[in-house]
Amino acid sequence: MTAPPAMLTGNAAAAWGARLADVDYVPAFPITPQTEIVEQLARWSAAGEIAARVVTLDSEHSMLTAAGAAAATGARVFTATSSQGLLYGLELLYTVAGWRVPLVLVNVSRGVASPITLEPDHDDVLAARDAGWLQIHAETCQEVVDSVLLAYRVAEDPRVRLPAIVNLDGFTLSFTREPVELPAAAVAAAYLGPYAPRHTAIRAGRPMAQGVAVLGGAAYSYFRYQMHLAAENALAVHEEAAAAFAGLTGRRYGLVDGYRLEDAELVLVMSNSFATKGRAAVDRARVDGVPLGLLRLRVLRPFPRDAIRRALAGRQAVAVLDQNLSVGAGGITVTEIAHALYAEPARPRLLAYVGGLGGKEIGEAEFRRIVHDLRTAAATGEVPAPRLLFTEAEAAQVGALLRLAGKAAAS
Amino acid sequence: MKTASRIVGTAAVLEGLVAQDSPVYGAERRGAPLSAYVRIARTPIFERGLIPAPDLVVVADDTLLDDPAVRPLAGLGPTGALLLATAHGADAVRAHTGHPGPVVARDFLGLALAEVGTAAAVSTALGVAAGVLAGLGPDAVTAAVRGELAALGLPAPAIDAGLRLADLARAGLAPLALGAEPHERAGADGRVVDVAWAPAETGAPTIVAAPNTPLRRTGSWRLFRPVIDLERCTRCWICFVRCPDGAIRLLADDTPRVDYEVCKGCLICLEECPPRAIRRERETRTWAAAGAAR
Repeated sequence: MTAPPAMLTGNAAAAWGARLADVDYVPAFPITPQTEIVEQLARWSAAGEIAARVVTLDSEHSMLTAAGAAAATGARVFTATSSQGLLYGLELLYTVAGWRVPLVLVNVSRGVASPITLEPDHDDVLAARDAGWLQIHAETCQEVVDSVLLAYRVAEDPRVRLPAIVNLDGFTLSFTREPVELPAAAVAAAYLGPYAPRHTAIRAGRPMAQGVAVLGGAAYSYFRYQMHLAAENALAVHEEAAAAFAGLTGRRYGLVDGYRLEDAELVLVMSNSFATKGRAAVDRARVDGVPLGLLRLRVLRPFPRDAIRRALAGRQAVAVLDQNLSVGAGGITVTEIAHALYAEPARPRLLAYVGGLGGKEIGEAEFRRIVHDLRTAAATGEVPAPRLLFTEAEAAQVGALLRLAGKAAAS
Repeated sequence: MKTASRIVGTAAVLEGLVAQDSPVYGAERRGAPLSAYVRIARTPIFERGLIPAPDLVVVADDTLLDDPAVRPLAGLGPTGALLLATAHGADAVRAHTGHPGPVVARDFLGLALAEVGTAAAVSTALGVAAGVLAGLGPDAVTAAVRGELAALGLPAPAIDAGLRLADLARAGLAPLALGAEPHERAGADGRVVDVAWAPAETGAPTIVAAPNTPLRRTGSWRLFRPVIDLERCTRCWICFVRCPDGAIRLLADDTPRVDYEVCKGCLICLEECPPRAIRRERETRTWAAAGAAR
């Protein structure tokens, strides 16, 4: 009899990821729904259960400065934030990525202000998509702890040497417990090995200048493009790291994840924890005889263009459900997926949806609408305009709030 | 209720099942309604977040039944079960709610106060009762109580008291055939609608109505009511100053008066009162009074 898996929240799983990675330093600043992660690490540190030093800074801006600076001495660094905190630290996300310091940040997704909210969508983490950090987006609590370990392995690889963000959804993962199998500490230690960089290892007796200023554009172009090339290396490095992880734990993670894709003519594309609901929608469609499958985006940076192209080429129609909104443009990942498919001769019809903003429920009716549109597109070639997923009942609920606020109800 | 949900979730995993439990927090202060959800299955769970059509609804405070902002029975189908902590009997609950399915109603709060001495322990009692109704084995439920109370950092005597409460809470309860009926797929008949542009007067998150926070009556949140003994009261104003919700006002002669329609029962006044002139009395409202309190 093996022991049953532990019931862990996504936040606890993230803290365990840092613990198993045997991190040296955790600069912290609280923000809902992330705070439990750094609280747990602080408790472990105070009790002597982890060697890491946990320090509370005065803001996320300082926190990320401290994280990058510590990593520049060769320390293994972990930190975590969410939403407004990530945005407040955005300048430093760009800055420390250029230092080529492979620290790991867990972002607990929460919609951004205004209006201010607590529940998840991916506008926070996707605002950081161009900053030079790798991004892994987790669907389950198990995937959170595993992805933190994977992230260190990929980020620290000499072919990459970039920081990484592991994203998990607030509430639907952060506060939700699921059965989680924790890798043994010895397994995690063997998987990661010690981190001993030569490119960033400031010592009193070995001074070096990091993050130097350059002018004229040529040097700037060179160093910036080096980041891009290193990020692209991370695609192959991730596959190696995932294979090694599967060898140790039996759990295999791809750049993308598929569900009932083998014979799917119609595909729904989602990411993060709501993709779990997408699996149920696929099962319901299959009961009705509709050949639907799910593609889950997992590694968002580097963008796995080839993996996505291979997964979607030859399908009849693909619906991308973005749980994010680029105001004035629409969903963010659908344009990147369109780019991946553009040169493909057998490219599917591409449908765009925005849903689940601020953690809004995506219910059966909304999935059914997508399936209806996919079937119509496959049969007629007609592609509907991009759409916000929003139901009649939700419109009534908002109408009631508008009346309470003393405003004329919108249609 | 987070602890109640975790007792059920942990017990299910100990029984070899798959479980998912999740509380939902708002930005409210202590005492505000809080909900938690548990899913139990034999196969991986492909759902997230709130449960639109639950098989079992557990309500820890019977005044929530009448709260239009909470509506705990909204998703409960006619064959679903209701587990309620209330001083009223099951027949009164059936009459009050009109719920035709199984109803288990007991004074779990009274049990918790008698055995453990804290109102929060009602979550242990309800977690145990829900576990039994869901058909989880007694050993798994007991182990889950022990594990979850330990995870809260409670000392050994408090855990032992929780285990005694668990035995009282499950006495006489038997598993119900939960989930035997096919789920009514809530929300399945909804319709996706267009969202149209609105002028910024409507489309921006502003409130132009007159202040309406005082209209939100929070007196039903109370488990205990503070009662001021005016014989001992020295009219020092401390309770008036310390009340976080402005629920205590001073009459012309400095006599403090509690507004029980607003008082949430935090009992900070009781803790702060220098001459100990405030005592607590457990609230057991009649249905009519609960309605009138709004």
